[in-house]
Amino acid sequence: MGYVRQISVFLDNKPNQLTGVMKLIKNHNINIRALSIADTKDFGILRMIVSDTEKAVDVLREASYAVAETEIVAITIPDTPGQLSRVLDILGEQNVNIEYLYAFLGKSDRSVSFVIRVDDNDNAYTALESGGIIRLTANDISEM
Amino acid sequence: MEKYWDKDIETMPPEKMKALQSERLVKQVKHVYENVKYYRDLMDEKGVKPEDITSVDDLHKLPFISKADLRDSYPYGMLAVPLSECVRIHSTSGTTGKRVVAFYTQNDVDMWENCIARAITAAGGDENDVLQVAYGYGLFTGGAGVHGGSHKVGCLTLPMSSGNTERQIQFMQDLGATFLCCTPSYAAYIGETIQEMGISPDDLKLRAGIFGAEPWTEEMRQTIEKSLGIKAYDIYGLTETSGPGVAFECSEQKGMHINEDNFIPEVINPDTGEVLPDGEVGELVFTSITKEAFPLLRYRTRDLCVLSRGKCKCGRTLIKMTKPMGRSDDMMIIRGVNVFPSQIETVLIAEGYAPNYIIEVDRVNNNDTLDISVEMKPEQFSDKVKDMQDQERSLALAIKTMLGINPKVHLVSPKSITRSEGKAVRVIDKRRLHDMPAK
Ligand SMILES: [Zn+2]
Repeated sequence: MGYVRQISVFLDNKPNQLTGVMKLIKNHNINIRALSIADTKDFGILRMIVSDTEKAVDVLREASYAVAETEIVAITIPDTPGQLSRVLDILGEQNVNIEYLYAFLGKSDRSVSFVIRVDDNDNAYTALESGGIIRLTANDISEM
Repeated sequence: MEKYWDKDIETMPPEKMKALQSERLVKQVKHVYENVKYYRDLMDEKGVKPEDITSVDDLHKLPFISKADLRDSYPYGMLAVPLSECVRIHSTSGTTGKRVVAFYTQNDVDMWENCIARAITAAGGDENDVLQVAYGYGLFTGGAGVHGGSHKVGCLTLPMSSGNTERQIQFMQDLGATFLCCTPSYAAYIGETIQEMGISPDDLKLRAGIFGAEPWTEEMRQTIEKSLGIKAYDIYGLTETSGPGVAFECSEQKGMHINEDNFIPEVINPDTGEVLPDGEVGELVFTSITKEAFPLLRYRTRDLCVLSRGKCKCGRTLIKMTKPMGRSDDMMIIRGVNVFPSQIETVLIAEGYAPNYIIEVDRVNNNDTLDISVEMKPEQFSDKVKDMQDQERSLALAIKTMLGINPKVHLVSPKSITRSEGKAVRVIDKRRLHDMPAK
């Protein structure tokens, strides 16, 4: 039911790594909906949700990037204090572990969207549903 | 049925071989003493006369020659015949600043090519084979040597030289190459490229490869054999003695037979120069007993290995050497520990990584640092930082277990380390920069 897929790309610790990826994405007319970078001393991991996941993966693999595709949870919540903390509580109560999360721009300026990478998607979906949190589908995101 | 190129020699009873060696050695020592002033001076200094050498048992009386001697006598100092009798030269790459130029008479070339013909035959090759030479042609001995050996056997020889990998693969397919000869690192690269092009080893006629000119591990052999669908044979040699073909692997693939009718091997303690009995690890030393133009006596190869005698299952009686455990040139001393790149490569392959890596040694605050950059395979990548760091840590631990010192491991993108078409450069030692005197 429209699971949201995220692409991650390994970035070597040398100049112009990110630029290279962005150029490839742009040259193939792929749009980026959400993006974050995790940085360490040694390397970076670029994570993004794009308009055409399959094409992006092909293009990046072709150019010898290490690419991973993962199913993630995307939600949208009102842009008011305490909302994210409520989501975390809901997930925590169901013992869903969060690997990482990042925010991205949603449809409206009164709401904010998040990508959440958890260890157990099904469990997270159930928890969010019963907590009344709005989940975004791949369709929702492609319409943004 | 085992095939031999030179059955009489290759299966000669050891006593008969010893007699042949002795006869050739006596003649050779006289030839060198009379024609090479540099070595005559070394012998005089040691108080040895040609008459003192009456059999191989007297070999230990002769002085050694090292790479430094070759540098000192460059270019003509070791030449034993007039230049008019020489037909060719080859040269080492000189990457370590010590270029060696070796000279060949026509007899020397014939002897060398016959050694390589023995290797090709031992790997099952004959006149029906199509042999692709992907060693570099030129000053390097690999291309010309294997080319000549292949002609002797009567193989259809494809003189590709190294590089232009897609063309290599195209010829391999179109002309049905059955043998591939190149450096093991280039063979691995060709195998990798074939996979990427979506070609299955079953689509190729390739059945064997003879790979040498750089040390390689048993693990690397398995990688190459799998990716190319062949049996991979090792061949050993060095420019100073002629080139590849000094020793070669037979169907047993347990050590290399030395062409001891041309090259007498010894293994010595590298510190004392004392000759060690068969079965002990030491530095390999060669005495060329048939070479005319550039006949090195007791040349120290810096390769560490073990010699063993005993009839091999292939029927050859030629003495065997193990794969060199490393060249002392390659050996790094890091925090007082001897480290060979091949040890690191063994761990990488055992841990499921491709043998594409760079070792960087440096000195920070008087402490040696060891950094190893390793290419990950695409499927080894994870979107979680922790997973990647765990992989680095567990690889570092495996290397530490092998070496006894702690490295820093850096995973890098697939294909980000430059591929080599000849000898791979895998070690960058920056410490020498610090040892230079300040201006
Ligand atoms: Zn054998």
